[in-house]
Amino acid sequence: MHTNGANSELFDNLRLELRRGCLVVAVLAQLHTEHYGYALRKALADQGLAIDENTLYPLLRRLESQGLLASQWREEEKRNKRFYRLSPLGKEVLRDLLAEWHQMNSALKQILGDRGPASASESGSQSKKGK
Amino acid sequence: MPATNTDLLDRYLHAVKFWLPKAQQADIIAELGEDLLSQVEEREATLGHKLDEDELAQILKKRGSPMRVASGYLPEQRLINPAMLPVYRLVLKIVLCWVYIPLFAFVFLGPVLAFARPGQALLVCCVEYVRAAFMTVGMVTVVFALLDRYQVKFKHADNWNPRKLPRVPGVQDTRARWNHLAGFIFGVAAAAFWASLLWQRSEFSLSSGTRLILGPICRQMYWPVLGLTLASAFFDLVSALYPRWARVRSRVRIGIDAGMLVIVAIALKAGNFAEIAGGGFSAADLANKVAWFNGMIDYTLIAVAVVTVGDAIHEARCLLRGKPGKAAAILTTR
Repeated sequence: MHTNGANSELFDNLRLELRRGCLVVAVLAQLHTEHYGYALRKALADQGLAIDENTLYPLLRRLESQGLLASQWREEEKRNKRFYRLSPLGKEVLRDLLAEWHQMNSALKQILGDRGPASASESGSQSKKGK
Repeated sequence: MPATNTDLLDRYLHAVKFWLPKAQQADIIAELGEDLLSQVEEREATLGHKLDEDELAQILKKRGSPMRVASGYLPEQRLINPAMLPVYRLVLKIVLCWVYIPLFAFVFLGPVLAFARPGQALLVCCVEYVRAAFMTVGMVTVVFALLDRYQVKFKHADNWNPRKLPRVPGVQDTRARWNHLAGFIFGVAAAAFWASLLWQRSEFSLSSGTRLILGPICRQMYWPVLGLTLASAFFDLVSALYPRWARVRSRVRIGIDAGMLVIVAIALKAGNFAEIAGGGFSAADLANKVAWFNGMIDYTLIAVAVVTVGDAIHEARCLLRGKPGKAAAILTTR
């Protein structure tokens, strides 16, 4: 689909932007239940949202420094692991973020209608021709 | 895990630690180490044997270079506020392209042409330009970095008013632009002439042993006149490049004119611009010549004052009217 190098880079950048906000929501939502980093990454990947370790751990630290997560070191399976969970503030913020996400999602659904990605890009190219 | 693998993992963690802030090193390294061990365990479970050094190296390679891994934990840092980048670029453009190049051209053109080896002189000039350009870029960058570091807010960016936006350049602005450009060239030439003529000079040798000895007022006037002339040239250049800054330019020009009038007034009050010595003139002759010369300077200064006052009045009128030329339309109705 994205064979051209420049197109591929452009798509990757746009995808990265699109994913950035979604990852925060996904991580916060997943941490309703306590997880340590590796288990969290596995849980997200199992649900179809693979996340790079070099993105996840700095994100966890950032969310913790913002007060959205709480963490503690604990021994499990003979190894010290850092467990994260959603803080009370994190729960409030997640609720607001989900409301925002639902609103955006329904708006996007309306904009796209019944069209899939293929027909959406088709109509895009038609409007370009119109110009 | 084999000892060689433990060593490899330790070396990797140590390398990551090097790039991390001291306060967070232990915490991050502990978590990173735990994550890597979890990955190793999972891989070993999948393969059904202990990982050898190559397989561990593969996992570490996939994780990324130590510096890249550490950079993810560092706060995003910037040298200049992205919101200030347009101003930063504008300042550099004005200074490097529209001030330095013409200034170097005017200041060094004479020496380059007069030099026995013009090619060598030109090379020296270019090297000096590059050096000055590097220093300027450095200084401007430091200033903008400090502005960002100390979070200096620009009220103008927040409290802007659409009604106070500069007007669209009009048809007459083209003529005005050339006038300003001519003003800039004349200003730089005048500054270069003034600088070279009076630089550390206290007298001039004229024909037949006559000497023109400059009075102390000439030395006192040297730097103020040079500074004002260069400032005037600079603002003429800015006006030529950015005609929409007419109001700012008018205010600055009125300031420069006021400065020039002060200098002229001081000079007129001081009088006695030069003495004449030698040449075998009689005392009466000398007195006449000195009086004539100083009188001519007086008249010249009065003429300068009149022109300056005229210019200040013109600028004040432009400022009060606010629209010297007819504005061009960007949006046209069809």
